[in-house]
Amino acid sequence: MSNRTIPRLLQTPAVLLLLFWMLVPLGMTLFFSFIRYFLNNTRRPEWTSPSIDNWRGFGNYQYVWNQDAFWLAIQNSLLIVCSILFLTVALGIAIAVLINRSFPGRGIVRVLLISPFFVMPAVNAVLWINMLLDPVLGLQGIAVANINDVILGLRDAPLVGGFFSLWPKFEPISFRATQTSAYAVIMMVTWQWTPFAVLIFMTSLQSEDQQQKEAAVLDGAGAWSQFRFLTLPHLGRPIAIVVMIQAIFHLSLYAEIEIVSRGNGNKNLPYYIGELVNNNIGAASATGIFAVILANIVAIFLLRMVGKTLME
Amino acid sequence: MGRIVLENVSKSFGDTQVIPPLSLTIEDGEFAVFVGPSGCGKSTLLRLIAGLEEVSGGSIVIDGTEVADVPPAKRGLAMVFQSYALYPHMTVRKNIAFPLRMAKMTQSDIDARVNQAASVLNLNDYLERKPGQLSGGQRQRVAIGRAIVREPSAFLFDEPLSNLDAALRVGMRMEILELHNKLETTMIYVTHDQVEAMTMANKIVVLRAGVIEQVGSPLELYRSPRNKFVASFIGSPKMNIFEGDEAKKHNAHSIGIRPEHIDVVKSNGEWQGTVGVAEHLGSDTFFHIHNTGLSEILTVRAIGDVNLRNGDTIHLNPRADDFHRFDEKGLRIT
Amino acid sequence: MAIVAQHSKFSKIAMPVLAWVVALIFFFPIFYMLLTSFKTDADAVKPEFLFSFTPTLENYTNMTDNYDYWRFASNSVITSVSATIFALVVGVPCAYAMAFDPSRGTKDILMWMLSTKMLPAAAVLYPMIFLTKSIGLFDTHFLVIMVLSLINLPIVIWMLFTYFKDIPKDIIEAGKMDGLNTWGEIKEILIPLAWGGIASTALLTFIFCWNEAYWTVRLTTIDAATLSKLIEGNRAPEGLFFGRLSAVSTAAVGPIVVLGWFCQKQLVQGLTFGAVK
Ligand SMILES: Nc1ncnc2c1ncn2[C@@H]1O[C@H](COP(=O)(O)OP(=O)(O)O)[C@@H](O)[C@H]1O
Ligand SMILES: [Mg+2]
Repeated sequence: MSNRTIPRLLQTPAVLLLLFWMLVPLGMTLFFSFIRYFLNNTRRPEWTSPSIDNWRGFGNYQYVWNQDAFWLAIQNSLLIVCSILFLTVALGIAIAVLINRSFPGRGIVRVLLISPFFVMPAVNAVLWINMLLDPVLGLQGIAVANINDVILGLRDAPLVGGFFSLWPKFEPISFRATQTSAYAVIMMVTWQWTPFAVLIFMTSLQSEDQQQKEAAVLDGAGAWSQFRFLTLPHLGRPIAIVVMIQAIFHLSLYAEIEIVSRGNGNKNLPYYIGELVNNNIGAASATGIFAVILANIVAIFLLRMVGKTLME
Repeated sequence: MGRIVLENVSKSFGDTQVIPPLSLTIEDGEFAVFVGPSGCGKSTLLRLIAGLEEVSGGSIVIDGTEVADVPPAKRGLAMVFQSYALYPHMTVRKNIAFPLRMAKMTQSDIDARVNQAASVLNLNDYLERKPGQLSGGQRQRVAIGRAIVREPSAFLFDEPLSNLDAALRVGMRMEILELHNKLETTMIYVTHDQVEAMTMANKIVVLRAGVIEQVGSPLELYRSPRNKFVASFIGSPKMNIFEGDEAKKHNAHSIGIRPEHIDVVKSNGEWQGTVGVAEHLGSDTFFHIHNTGLSEILTVRAIGDVNLRNGDTIHLNPRADDFHRFDEKGLRIT
Repeated sequence: MAIVAQHSKFSKIAMPVLAWVVALIFFFPIFYMLLTSFKTDADAVKPEFLFSFTPTLENYTNMTDNYDYWRFASNSVITSVSATIFALVVGVPCAYAMAFDPSRGTKDILMWMLSTKMLPAAAVLYPMIFLTKSIGLFDTHFLVIMVLSLINLPIVIWMLFTYFKDIPKDIIEAGKMDGLNTWGEIKEILIPLAWGGIASTALLTFIFCWNEAYWTVRLTTIDAATLSKLIEGNRAPEGLFFGRLSAVSTAAVGPIVVLGWFCQKQLVQGLTFGAVK
């Protein structure tokens, strides 16, 4: 009886595929990160092919390290991921508590709430940046224009007119601009992923021990104390999982960044790499390795936190 | 046929040896029970025989064939699992027919065997149901049905009754025994319940931490336990075992006497003490007795209802012939 | 039921109302997109036609002319379906072995698989372009299928693993005793018993594949480009094409959103690896 060979055999294709998927491109990235390698370089044509002769040691790393754009990209990556995490978890808990008890139409509310999660990121970004957030033609523009009209009208009104004439004219915000595009991305991704957090928190709330709550009521705990001391600890594990899964997805946000600002706005790490890939492969690869290191720091932290609970 | 011989069989999971080398023979037609506290390796031993685990050393021979390279289904054994392990997506009929289908039997043969098994086990009315719609006892019978249609050379049972309630358990015990009488096939039965072992077995194998402590008929084990472990494991209530002066009187490191071998007398008993808890069952009375001067609390079983209560003084006479004597290692002194 | 008595009027009336309001706010962008898709491009940017307008289907009927929609849609279907099937074909046996014949390394392998998900795709972007271009796989269905199934494989295996773990091991062993070989165990017992779990894994994988927007954008140009690429590549200068853009977007996400409604429950179990029940 070959008790062990068959299970091994069954796992082999998956393991080999993933190993290949992980090691081969990563190995190449590692190699490219140590050489001078440009797609176009008229001055030094020998740098346009990946060769060990163009060895540059840690030069690419040094180069990237000294780029402001690199640090800005890291800053943006962290800003975007952390904001989204915070917003989705906070909103997710609030909404989950809100719809935890049954009420008329709860099923429909759930369906409406979950829908954004299934919208493809590209559509999400196109929809938000054009139809919702466009400063002129989007809902934002229309809304701001309307508010201004209303205020304008009220200025002529008796009594309060004087008060409203003090008001400024509102200016719509362009989210395609450098300083604001990250907020648009945060907004749209939060819209998309809050439903996911809600769904998970809600499922977890359903399994909350009702007897424990009743005991707490008998002990004199109010609604807030119940939430603070029973519900919130109960949500600990789901929160950890929501954070982990979202971190995995959002560290590699790309389509949203591209669609929102087309390279004119806040760039995160993947986007920065994407730009370098157009010519400076060496630097792109070094940045890639930095991204791997960053992801690993996050991953070790997260897997530590969540890994144990997953395996029971 | 169904003679199963284990020779120096051992099993390790990783670095932990669960079963040190062990030898055992189960004769054709025997009803052998593996008994021992939970975690002692009974299931592992059974699964080694079944082929669900690979032996780490030694050999298993079934009817003269060494089975190391024989897959479970080809060993001619049938197993009944503690959880019944019925296929929930198949009807009772399909469940019972499954091993036959796997053996590529013709449909008419399959039907004949399934129907026969169903009538033996009173399952005729349930053949088209799914396991989920059956009671615990019925599921148990389906599991047995699935085993008997294969006409195996031996049955393996792993704690088959432990998921049933007490009343049903006694009933199923009888049914399995009747099945054994009728089929005269070897059965190996695993349980942690010594009562089950005593009532069902021809041969009991007492295990502790993977080691066979004793093999014998129920009465052999009851009368001459080989060591203190077997002595206190077999029999209910447990044998009283104590050390000290009383043991020295018998030239032993420790001595044991079963609760039913101590007589309650009116006065002038060899021992006396105060009644702690008294359990009045009607047919018997169990006394737990303190202040006897012995090293342990004494349990005594009296026939019928004996009217002594908590705090009363009780006089006792142990039957001299029924003392068991053990040496420092806990082994029986003969 | 001591708690019920404590509920104030607030929680009885205000909370459901608030819940509805929140749900409608969250759904509004989708609704607005749907609405806009029935406006002409000209109407779509006029505030006076925000909610009252003459609906038209022209955006949908012109979708092929405007965007070559069906080409991208069929690429999406082909690649997502194939990638899902491939991931299951590789994932089911693997998860099966891990769930029923776990060895000491199983836990580590599972964790390692999950960690490959954390590898930033951007880090290996150029090697992927380089490799696929040099072996002629760039912009082919085969490439997209392989990439989609590989990036989803860890989640597929995790999800299946958690479903399989719930099947009692005894049943598989009973099958062994009854004469099943490994393939038989998978076919006769595992798949029928875990059918629900496998189906929802497939559904979710399909959704993820359909929505993927990094590799499908960067590793294709025309031949294997999916809907993500179509939408991503579409600029809407000055909102000229809001109507037609809404229509093509609606067509791209509609089926998936509806599909998603049916697998909410499985989504939770699947994405939390069974850790939240
Ligand atoms: N697959 C396994 N891997 C590691 N240890 C095991 C495995 N199966 C059983 N064991 C260990 O072997 C010992 C005996 O188990 P088992 O045979 O199930 O005991 P019993 O059936 O007598 O209660 C236990 O300590 C158990 O933890
Ligand atoms: Mg056991």
